[in-house]
Amino acid sequence: MTAPLTHLQSMVLFALIISLAFGTLGRRRPKERLKYAAWSFFLFLLIGIAIGWAMYPFSR
Amino acid sequence: MEESVIEQPQQESPPEQEQASAASRSEENRKLMAFLIGVAGWAVPGLGHALQKMWGRALAVFLAVGALVMLGAGMRGNLFTSRGEDAFATLGYFADLGSGTFYWVARIAETAGPDTSHSAGDYGTRFLATAGVLNLLAALHAYEAARGRKA
Repeated sequence: MTAPLTHLQSMVLFALIISLAFGTLGRRRPKERLKYAAWSFFLFLLIGIAIGWAMYPFSR
Repeated sequence: MEESVIEQPQQESPPEQEQASAASRSEENRKLMAFLIGVAGWAVPGLGHALQKMWGRALAVFLAVGALVMLGAGMRGNLFTSRGEDAFATLGYFADLGSGTFYWVARIAETAGPDTSHSAGDYGTRFLATAGVLNLLAALHAYEAARGRKA
């Protein structure tokens, strides 16, 4: 079984799964869960991309 | 000479003693049940919540841990064993083991063995470790809910 994913796809998938789990575990009401999951997802992507760009000067 | 007044502890009447004893037993049972629920949650992702009829959370944990394990195994991530060569490998083993029975599911699913020479394999290793840590967090959440604490 293989799952050929790019770096970005892997990161997005990872962030999505974890955010949904965090939202469901961390909040009680559906609306709050969705908001928390969306916020977590956004922060995962933002911090991931920011760290990626911060490492860019050292990549070559 | 002044008389010293010593307060005598008030003796509890038998029904009160029985009530206190029953409450103590009930608390002990609750602690034991919470511990068992925590262990069940670790062994099978989502079971700790399912036993408390928290169906949404049970399903979310089961699917999240299951998806991470299957993707990690599919990406040929490194699934650590107990025969780790260094502290990081041992730490990785404990993280992987956090997914309970899904650890062995990953071992069965990863038929070709790990391949971390490509980035996908490296991502897979993180997916597997995260699945374990997420399941431990969920098991702890189920334990806290069973103890009656805010969860």
